[in-house]
Amino acid sequence: MTTYPVPTRRWTRAEYDRLVELGVLHEDEPIELLGGQMIVAEPKGTPHSTAIGLTADALRAAFGPGWVVRVQGPIALDDESEPEPDLAVVSGQHRDYLVEHPARPALLVEVAEPSLAFDRRYKGSLYARAGVEDYWIVNLVDEVVEVHRSPLPDPTSEFGWRYGDVKTFRPGASISTLSRPDVTVAVADLLP
Amino acid sequence: MVAVSFSYAMRAPAIPLWRMTRKRYERLVDAGTFGENDRVELLDGLLVAREPQGSLHAMAVVLARTALERAFGRRYHVREEKPVALDDLSEPEPDVVVVRGGPRDYRTHPSSPVLVVEVADSSLAFDRLRKGGVYARAGVADYWVVNLVDDVLEVYREPVRTTSRGTGWKFASVRRLERNATISPLAAPRARIRVASLLP
Repeated sequence: MTTYPVPTRRWTRAEYDRLVELGVLHEDEPIELLGGQMIVAEPKGTPHSTAIGLTADALRAAFGPGWVVRVQGPIALDDESEPEPDLAVVSGQHRDYLVEHPARPALLVEVAEPSLAFDRRYKGSLYARAGVEDYWIVNLVDEVVEVHRSPLPDPTSEFGWRYGDVKTFRPGASISTLSRPDVTVAVADLLP
Repeated sequence: MVAVSFSYAMRAPAIPLWRMTRKRYERLVDAGTFGENDRVELLDGLLVAREPQGSLHAMAVVLARTALERAFGRRYHVREEKPVALDDLSEPEPDVVVVRGGPRDYRTHPSSPVLVVEVADSSLAFDRLRKGGVYARAGVADYWVVNLVDDVLEVYREPVRTTSRGTGWKFASVRRLERNATISPLAAPRARIRVASLLP
């Protein structure tokens, strides 16, 4: 098959936010800005939504006060990215993010079923480039939780970075988070 | 500010790019989203950065315009780098198009050019395949690519459905004309344009 460059124009995050202000994009449209490209978020099935709810409950219980668990809220990741990860744990209180979206999440979680390869390689590279230290994928295909850590440069990756340390945890195992190493989350509590 | 990124088509996983309707695109244009140096066009729902023109490219655009103005009578007019309201997901700005009637007939962008011409150097594959597919799907009957790489004119006609990836359409008839050949536009069958007059 012939391949050829498609020189798409990339969007900055400021432009993307302006599209919402102009009303060209609606706030509830399933779109994320990833690396300057507007990406359609896939429709979520019921196991997906269930896993999001379970994970939110588990993370709130584990992190406790002083942390906010946001569900599918925008993250001001970098100048050309505003993803809406399934879950983000950020420090502080909800009202701390009244004016600006959080930029430095302590933990991002994506629940992945058909999007598994995309979440691993594409989003993983983007999150690694932005310096997100702790990225989990609740992998519904294999019923495991993948923990991606230690971002490092890798020119072959989509955005020039990837996670150097990827571990897979099965039901029965527990994971401690990087930001609260004193508490653990049971894998079984995250899976539907 | 324009940054250019390159194809994800050759890489797995596929990226589900969001596609914008022409209506939304026109609102963006009206809101002044794109500055003067931010040359873009909407192609199949994707915002495509238009490459800066080299001097030979610019010359070829003027040559095509001049030749087509001579070839088409007063029932048509020639437009250079102007938007075409091609379909619900596309508003390209081809290098040259020929449309029916006069400029005052179009309070909104024309949608059915009788001839589209793109001048291609580095964009050759893109113009042939991606743009060609969009033009074929929109029913453009006569699409010319002034190929500066090989110094020929490529003439694409007879849009047909195809099973290959992309828009699902292509041109069944592809001709490659050298400098010494002549070409008659489909919509001006009595005119004869020397290919040499289109090439820098």
